[in-house]
Amino acid sequence: MPRDTGDTLEVSIWRGGQDGAYQSYSVPSRDSQTVLDVVTYVQRYIDPTLTYRFACRVGMCGSCAMTVNGRPRWTCRTHVSKVSKGGNLKIAPLSNLPVIKDLAADMRPFFEKWQEAKGVFEPTKTRHDPVEAIRPNEPARVAADEGIECINCGVCYAGCDTVRWNADYLGPAALNRAWTLMNDRRDSGQSQRLAAISTDGGCHACHSHQSCQEFCPQSLNPTGSIAQLKRLATKAYLRGEIGS
Amino acid sequence: MTIERTRTDILVLGSGGAGLFAALHAHDHGHGNTVTIATKGLLGKCGCTRMVQGGYNVALHNGDSIERHFMDTIEGGKWLPDQELAWTLVSKAPERVRELENEVGCFFDRNADGSLHGKAFAGQTFDRTVHKGDLTGIEIINRLMEQIWKRQNIRKLEEHRALALVPTSAGDALAGVLMMDVRTGRLHFVQARAVLLATGGGPTMYRYHTPSGDKSMDGLAMALRAGLPLRDMEMVQFHPTGLLAGPDTRMTGTVLEEGLRGAGGHLLDGAMRRFMADYDPRAERATRDIVSRSIYAEMKAGRTSPNGGVYIQMSHLGPDKVRKQFKGMVDRCRDSGFDLAGGLVEVVPTAHYFMGGIVCRADTSTELPGLFVAGEDASGMHGANRLGGNGVANSTVFGGIAGDEMPRWIAANGGYRAPDEAVLALEAERCLHPFRNAPGNVHALRERLMEVMWDHVGVIRDANGLSRGLAELDAIEAELLRTGVADDDRAFNLTWHDWMNLRSLVETSRIIALAAQRRENSRGAHFRSDFPEPGAFETSTFTMIRKRDDALQITDEPVRFTHVRPGQTLIEPVLAAE
Repeated sequence: MPRDTGDTLEVSIWRGGQDGAYQSYSVPSRDSQTVLDVVTYVQRYIDPTLTYRFACRVGMCGSCAMTVNGRPRWTCRTHVSKVSKGGNLKIAPLSNLPVIKDLAADMRPFFEKWQEAKGVFEPTKTRHDPVEAIRPNEPARVAADEGIECINCGVCYAGCDTVRWNADYLGPAALNRAWTLMNDRRDSGQSQRLAAISTDGGCHACHSHQSCQEFCPQSLNPTGSIAQLKRLATKAYLRGEIGS
Repeated sequence: MTIERTRTDILVLGSGGAGLFAALHAHDHGHGNTVTIATKGLLGKCGCTRMVQGGYNVALHNGDSIERHFMDTIEGGKWLPDQELAWTLVSKAPERVRELENEVGCFFDRNADGSLHGKAFAGQTFDRTVHKGDLTGIEIINRLMEQIWKRQNIRKLEEHRALALVPTSAGDALAGVLMMDVRTGRLHFVQARAVLLATGGGPTMYRYHTPSGDKSMDGLAMALRAGLPLRDMEMVQFHPTGLLAGPDTRMTGTVLEEGLRGAGGHLLDGAMRRFMADYDPRAERATRDIVSRSIYAEMKAGRTSPNGGVYIQMSHLGPDKVRKQFKGMVDRCRDSGFDLAGGLVEVVPTAHYFMGGIVCRADTSTELPGLFVAGEDASGMHGANRLGGNGVANSTVFGGIAGDEMPRWIAANGGYRAPDEAVLALEAERCLHPFRNAPGNVHALRERLMEVMWDHVGVIRDANGLSRGLAELDAIEAELLRTGVADDDRAFNLTWHDWMNLRSLVETSRIIALAAQRRENSRGAHFRSDFPEPGAFETSTFTMIRKRDDALQITDEPVRFTHVRPGQTLIEPVLAAE
């Protein structure tokens, strides 16, 4: 058995589906231990039926996000000492998404909204054309780059109050992606995207609570992107380019 | 257990660079064929393309050439690559990068004038590696998965595990794939006219490894059982510096980038002594394979840090400077409780990439009609060593080719084929095997496998160790077959999947050990302390292993120098003089 510090973590983990309940486990505390390691310990040594999801282990895939002591986080990159409250951990699946089982949430609604926000590149050129020369310091490119390193982990979506209150709201990640595309001059889907993000569940639904910005493990600022989208949408409306 | 049955014209297994590209091409240029993509985890989130940090090798820049990229690939592969495959890789890469930029929507880093930036990468004679910062894989996969989600006609089976390639009764073609819906634990047979195997390799049978946790060599284990020939199976690439965070940590084994050593980082043994100069005059800046072997030798000699590795030290370069230059790495270490900028971090060599795989043709077809292969499951592009930046080029180039080729093949070769019901029943029973035994400790066996492979089939090998390793593998397999899993809930039962993962890993581990035993020289990633010389390049052979009537056959196949012979080059003299 691996070395431990002699202390014990009291870990409460969500078991079952939407109507499940918390169960408690005692896990030895270690110097080097992430929340994912704690969950793994429970599956390996205490209850082999525990379900959770992870893949890359280093914060690149966004598969292992869960709610840890009330806040959505990547579990692979969260050291226990950063979040444990007096040796207590409460771990649940991501909020605002259906529960599949235990700690695994269904990410489909998140990706469906990504598509509803037209979060996909619409090409103007083909593989037979040269790569377009775009200076990295062009203002639009700088704006796109600021939001581009999203790994679609769903942390912002799970932490967003507006998503909780309004099931139609597209959410921070999808709108942030839409904003990066509005700044991509190679893209041909601008007017349809602007229409898509101007609907009831679009950018105007955001109340700027800024939880997304606070929770984003990549330090992105979806609230800022959404504010820019609001400005674009309002201008387009005033010009009569999109409906109300 | 009942097996549900469904049909699709084209079935793609895997959602890394190869799988996503294949689905995209098969959908867009597939003449109305139905396309299904199945993946063990979430679409685009599992697998290793996403984890690519370095970038994408492509001869697109002024002064570079396809021939130069080709020669770098062949020489890097120590003259073992299949030259047709390597040529296809380098000559198709420019089109694929333009497709990624212009059609898929990736945006790679630019020079100040707006042209594509090419960075220097080890083992290459030109700065040709196109990248997006050090998160190139995320940019490629995010944009590809958006395109796949957009195409609603592509059927997506997430958290679906492939269990077996099921042939026809005559065994003359593939009929389809037995799969499991991980979320329910139910089996279903997907009959398909053409199947792409793109599940990714990933040598996770070593105590220290970099690939994502879902990887367990299922593709190669399935191919082996289906009788397909596997080549270069001794070729496991180790990265010299994986993070060592102690037992039972998922983060152990993940890569600390090579740039740390390039920038002047020091490697220290357990007694805080720099040791690399004992092995190579370039010290820490020696090539990946030499640094890996040197650290491994230090570990074998017992001169280790508390967790059994060595230390990397950056602080002498100035913590603030390190923090700025290697922000991603410093943050990652900090999140696991280590101070890379100012302190010492324990590191170990870590199994990174698998050059071995299924023998295939340049159009991704295999010996089994109806089965195509791309990405890390395929073999022959890299020979004895893969260049950094050729991995993502390989998966995307050949994934796209497979997506073009499968509809053509279907048009020429007709309809659905009936599966061999006996094989189907046998394979279904195979995955239910652990429910027949009393529950045991699957994880302890996995640890034992990782120890055996690390100690006996690892960075430095010899005849004695390999025989011992093979005997141990037999013992582990026998014990695994006696070890059960509780049958109380089959839905999303990770421990059941751990059992199946381990079985795939044991089967492929045996092939690695046998191939390593067979190759009595040292080439690229394969090093034999009892045969340290590379042997004559002119008479190079590669190992090939297949299963026939339950016996493993191993042969040495001559490398065919179809484009260039050892000692020659394709690079024009005027360029070579630069």
